[in-house]
This record gives sequence, structure tokens and C-alpha cells, in this order.
Amino acid sequence: MAEHSILVVEDEHTLRRLLEYRLGKLYNVRTAANGEEALVRIKEEVPDLIVSDIMMPRMDGFALQEALQDELDTRIIPFIFLTAKADEQSRLKGLRTGVDDYITKPFDIEQLLTRIARLLERTRLFQTQLDAKIGQDFSQKLMPKTMPEVDGYRIHFHNSPLEHGGGDLFDWTEAKPGIFFFTIGDVMGKGVRAKFYAFSFLAYVRSLLHGLLSESVSPAELMHRINELLMRDDVLVDTFASLLILRWEPATHSITYVNAGHCRPALVHTRGAQLVAHSDMILGLDARTEFIDTTLTLEPDMALMAYTDGLMEQLMPDGKMLGESGILEVAHQAHHQNDPIDALLTHTLALSQSTEFEDDILIFWLERLA
Amino acid sequence: MSFVLESNADGTTIVHIGKALDFRNAADFKKLCQDQVRNGVRNFILDFSETGILDSTGLGSIFSLYRQVSPLNGQVVFASVSRPVQVVVQLTRTYKVFRQFPSVDAAHKSLA
Repeated sequence: MAEHSILVVEDEHTLRRLLEYRLGKLYNVRTAANGEEALVRIKEEVPDLIVSDIMMPRMDGFALQEALQDELDTRIIPFIFLTAKADEQSRLKGLRTGVDDYITKPFDIEQLLTRIARLLERTRLFQTQLDAKIGQDFSQKLMPKTMPEVDGYRIHFHNSPLEHGGGDLFDWTEAKPGIFFFTIGDVMGKGVRAKFYAFSFLAYVRSLLHGLLSESVSPAELMHRINELLMRDDVLVDTFASLLILRWEPATHSITYVNAGHCRPALVHTRGAQLVAHSDMILGLDARTEFIDTTLTLEPDMALMAYTDGLMEQLMPDGKMLGESGILEVAHQAHHQNDPIDALLTHTLALSQSTEFEDDILIFWLERLA
Repeated sequence: MSFVLESNADGTTIVHIGKALDFRNAADFKKLCQDQVRNGVRNFILDFSETGILDSTGLGSIFSLYRQVSPLNGQVVFASVSRPVQVVVQLTRTYKVFRQFPSVDAAHKSLA
């Protein structure tokens, strides 16, 4: 499996071919005959590691190494010097300028392979740790620490992000006294990248919401603006997101929602649970997408349960996903429990005969008390 | 995790998606399609007859393709949509932009 790419810079034809052949068994190898050529190759595609000779015509190894220091992208490429110059002076000069390793000719190819593997592994570990740290940081920032408190209602919220999970997001604000907005969404993709886009996206949504409130409190209008933005913003191009916006007015017990391709919420009451059916197309795909507001009334003892796809896609023993029908079942079972979300998760895991969830889990439960 | 491509002289490429299009191979799919678009392909038929898994990353890569070709008057259509793929398409309401056909042949005739 040639996953890592290595650039070999060596002026001597035979050695260059030998290295290309031997390293090529394990890595994706490109070659250059001197520093100048190497810079061209690097511009085409940044390699994961560079193995370079020192003494070369046109541009030598030191000059190449120095040129790479100019940009952050290239400064971090692990660099191994390969040279006949066994003198201490060169070695010290190399180490001072940020060379990671140093091998003198004639060298043992196995030794070179070991050093390459070690350097790549170290880089990978560093990257993984950094990703995990950033991912965790984003996850925390994407979730609120408190929930609204309103007489006659109870609200539960649960979020358990995974390190390799996706871009789930949740936010709420009391836009005007007695008018609450909740946004629940999922930015497509996995890992830190998705979380980063979710984070930027949420910032856009927040500022739009605040900016719009003086003119309109229609979730559909808000959704329309967000879609327009995704369609023309250069940073967010190629960002697709499902999003559910709820406007909740406890005084009239009404919820007005707009759903852009997000998992459909459940409306839970004593007799059972049903889907909050209407939804429009996902965000970021088509500027002409129309979004429609729908209003529903929460009767006493009724709850609205919203979630992200991690819950719905939890696999059951038969290999199928929990799905919407499964969601309705577990939501109904959770009704009237002290901690409905805890009950719902326990029940889902029991159904799936598993001890943990395979994806990020996000659940929001808004219940009008009896 | 590879895709089988069929390019036709009329500027249509058929991509047989295989068992899965998800976070593991979505980047490959994206690159493959980008190369096709660069070579002048405008219409894509995605064959989902064997597809059991389409996750949100995979779907995102199809959306990227759509956003690339739609300004060029290109189309992305789905053929032989399997049940798991249909679920995702319904949920995201994307059947509004991706026309569906019972077979690759039917899709091809409509694009011709």
C-alpha cells in the first residue's frame, strides 16, 4: 500500500534509480536530480518526507533545505540528508538548520528504511494527537453548556462526540423575551475537518440569526439566507449541511420549524410517537431550494425529540439501521422516564445488542409537562 | 474499494459505485470525477445497484460533483438505486436534483 509519498533528491543516476526502486516497494516515490528540480516537484505536490543528497550541481542539499524553511507547508516536511561527506562539519550544519536525520554513504539500505519508517511514524503520531486535541476543543465549543429554563417545561440535552466523528452542531438563543431559537445540524464529512466547518458554519448561523431578528423571525427565511450564503461563500464552498431550526414560544406552546434535509424529529405523546414530517432539501446544493415554515402545538404531556444521524444509523443485529421506525419506538418508550434521553440510549443499545454507539450522538428533548 | 468507470463518446461517464461510498473512499471518488470533468465529461450516471452503504461523507462527494457540473449544464443521475441509498436520498430530499432511473440503460437513453 503506497500511502506515504517520498521525494528522493540525488544527482547520481544509479543511486537515484536504486533508491527509487527500493523505497518504491513501500512508498510512493518521486525523484529529482538537484535542489531546483526538487522545488518544482514539491510545488506540484508536497511529499511526506524528503531524502536528499548534499553535494549536487545547481542547487545543493543545504540550499534546498534552506529554501524549504520559507513556507510553513514545506518547513514541516521530515528531511533526511544522505551524503558521502562524512565530516562532522556538514552533519552539525545540517542538524542546526532543521534536518531530522543524517545518513552517510556508503549506507545500508535497511538502515535508511528503518529511519524513514520511524520518522513517518513520529509525524503520524504527532498529527493524530493534534487532531484529537483540536477535535475535542471544537466539539466542546460547538455545544452549549446550559439550556433554557421555562416553567411548565423540561428540556434534556445529550451529546457524546467521538474523536473520529463528524460535524454535529447544536445551539440555542432567546431571540426576544419568550421566543427561543434552537438549531440542530450536521455538517457532512468526518474528523477535524468536519468539526472545523461545523464551527465556522455555526458562527455564520449565529451572526445571521442576530442580524435578521429585527426584520423577521421566520425560520424558513433564516434557512433561505443560510443556503444562499453556503452557495456563494468561498470558504464554505463544498460544505453541505443538514439543519433543523426550531422557533419555540412557550407562552403559546407553539413550535415553528424548518427542516433542511435533517433527520426528522419525533413528536412523542402517551399514545405513541409520530414523525414531524415536512422537510426540504439539504443546504449547500441548490440556490433555488425553497424552505417552508411549519407550525405545531405542543399539547400537555407531549415532547419533541430531535437528533442527528448517529442515532438513526446505529446498526441493529440484522445489519439494518435503527431507522425512523426504530426512532419512534425508542422515543415512545422514553416518554415519562425520569431521564428520557438516558432511557432512550439504553433502549437503543439493548436493541442493537451493543455496548456503545458507532457515531456521534446528539439528542434534544423538549417536553411540555402534563 | 475501487470504482469501475465507463466513458462514452457522447460525453457521459458511468460510475459503478460498488458496495460502499463512504468516508473511506469518498476522496478517491471525488478525485476520479474531477479528472473526468477536467477531460470534458459533463454527464454522470451513478450505478448504485450493488451499493449497501452511502454515508454522509460519500453523499457529500456526490454533491461536490453536482456543484461542479451543474453550472456547465451537466447532470448527475442515479441508476438502480438500492434501498439503503434510497433512504439517504429521501432523508436529505435530494431526489429533487438527482433524477433516478431503473437501470443504467434507461438513464443513458434519457441523457442522450
